[in-house]
Amino acid sequence: MPAVIEEQNPSKTEAKDASVLDRPADLGLSRRRLLRGLIVAVVVLVVGLQVPTFVDDPYYMGVIADGTVLGILAISIGFLIRLSGLISLGHTAFYGGAAYALAIAMNQWDWGPMQAAVFGILGGTLLAVVIGSMAIRITGFGFLMLTLAFGQALYAASVLTSLRDVTGAFDGLGIDWPSDATFFGLEQSDVGASDTFWPLAWVAIVVVAVVLWIAGRSRFGVLLEAIRENEERARFSGYNTYLPRLAAFTLSGACASVAGVLFALKASYVSPNTLGFLTAGDSLIATLVGGFTTLAGPAIGALLYIYAQGEFAESGNLQLYTGLALVIAVVFLPGGISGFVVDLFQRVRGRLTGKGGKA
Amino acid sequence: MTAVLEAHGVTLRYGAVVAVDDVSLSVEPGMLHGVIGPNGAGKSSFMDALSGRRKLTAGKVVLDGEDITKRSVAWRRRNGMARSFQKTSVFSAMKVRTQLEMVARRTGEEDLDSIIDALGLRDFLDKRCDEISYGDQRSVDIAMALVGRPHVVLLDEPGAGLAQEEAARMLDHIRTLCNERNVAAVLVEHDVDGVFRVCDKVTVLSLGRVLASAEPENVRSDQKVIEAYLGSQA
Repeated sequence: MPAVIEEQNPSKTEAKDASVLDRPADLGLSRRRLLRGLIVAVVVLVVGLQVPTFVDDPYYMGVIADGTVLGILAISIGFLIRLSGLISLGHTAFYGGAAYALAIAMNQWDWGPMQAAVFGILGGTLLAVVIGSMAIRITGFGFLMLTLAFGQALYAASVLTSLRDVTGAFDGLGIDWPSDATFFGLEQSDVGASDTFWPLAWVAIVVVAVVLWIAGRSRFGVLLEAIRENEERARFSGYNTYLPRLAAFTLSGACASVAGVLFALKASYVSPNTLGFLTAGDSLIATLVGGFTTLAGPAIGALLYIYAQGEFAESGNLQLYTGLALVIAVVFLPGGISGFVVDLFQRVRGRLTGKGGKA
Repeated sequence: MTAVLEAHGVTLRYGAVVAVDDVSLSVEPGMLHGVIGPNGAGKSSFMDALSGRRKLTAGKVVLDGEDITKRSVAWRRRNGMARSFQKTSVFSAMKVRTQLEMVARRTGEEDLDSIIDALGLRDFLDKRCDEISYGDQRSVDIAMALVGRPHVVLLDEPGAGLAQEEAARMLDHIRTLCNERNVAAVLVEHDVDGVFRVCDKVTVLSLGRVLASAEPENVRSDQKVIEAYLGSQA
């Protein structure tokens, strides 16, 4: 019998606790949880910085560093999927856009790498605001196609012969550092080497993850989930639904821009591929394989993806094996690797506590 | 007494079809105004027009003396107009507590407990909406509309999907809550007897037009209403 037709009974009145609104924040991130999260982040940061000590092989160090940069892009895409239900194929616009902005600033205007990196991130973020203001008006398949269209439009612009002097067209741009320029104390050759580049990539992914974690767990994140669940009800609850989604898209685009800037600095080169559909596909595959239901899932997927790409490339059947691996991952691990691990953990915990695991 | 909600010549067209045709009504504070009519009469369309879910073809909607015809749904909610839907509309994957808190914080509600207890939701606060029964989801839907002490709440078939007895008692709860919180309501419902029992005034729609609008006893005995809609129910 629905509760609505039940008369109030004494037992319920007695069970009544303090006012619902007096409880510690259910609607957002409590200070205690924030502190716990930050402590975990610091521990992860410190431990992760030791990776080059244990990985001597430059090849594997390169895989880990490249996977981490792709991981930043993937977790930014995963954040948007998880909280807004929006699957973007256009994040390469911010990733590649930021990379090109950095390269153009350094090559054309002789800016130092630090100023150019800031310019690149701001440029990618601004692009996210502009594209997002149009794209988030629609959801689902329409959003997917619209973001793809924006990404491809930027790709097409980058290869225009008339812009060859600026973008290098199909040849891309080699990045020239001003003499004596450094980036967080690192010279160009250090940034190009995976082991010395590693602290930059690791600090960046941890900072991005913390920012996205806080955003996802805050009231802002709760509102995004509500909008994803039932946008109409959110509006009829008094909330503007456009601005929060635009903010989420912009934040996600800003994080993708960080990945783009790091990629350009490490490679000292940007090509139209950074804006292309294949890069968009790479990042989305990494997100799906790693699983977007957790924050770390896409980063795990990215690492695995970069490693697998190296292995598959040796066989000469890179795309075939990539496709097969994706099919297997999607069919047998619908929640991705992280989803599988979380599910397994819940089942085991359910058995141990006798409460039954999550089905 | 000044009306809290007024509809003036509200008209809503879907292409060539006129779903709501020049409908006017006035609702005073604390009053329950029932809207009944056969299927396709335009009741839900009228609710959509009042709530801002659909853009009016003609006419205007006035809330507390202010023309809100061009105001957004979110603005209306923050300024005293709430609604529930014929098909239950909740945040399925969220805890009941979280979604009620969300609306409460947005609308400045300080006494969420009274609504929770009146609708018997306390036992479900820490469950997700998709883990509770349809009837309880219905109660969450109504609760979200009543949070924030709106001046007027638009209730589109609050008893839909419930057994007859449950639906009747739902109407009684709504009557009680509206009285206690001095909330006016426009109530669309198929349970004609229930509407006549709890409403202060009833408007009958037929083919998008007002057939009659008066106190329940007068509507029940109106010959046009009997012929067009009530028939043997009168």
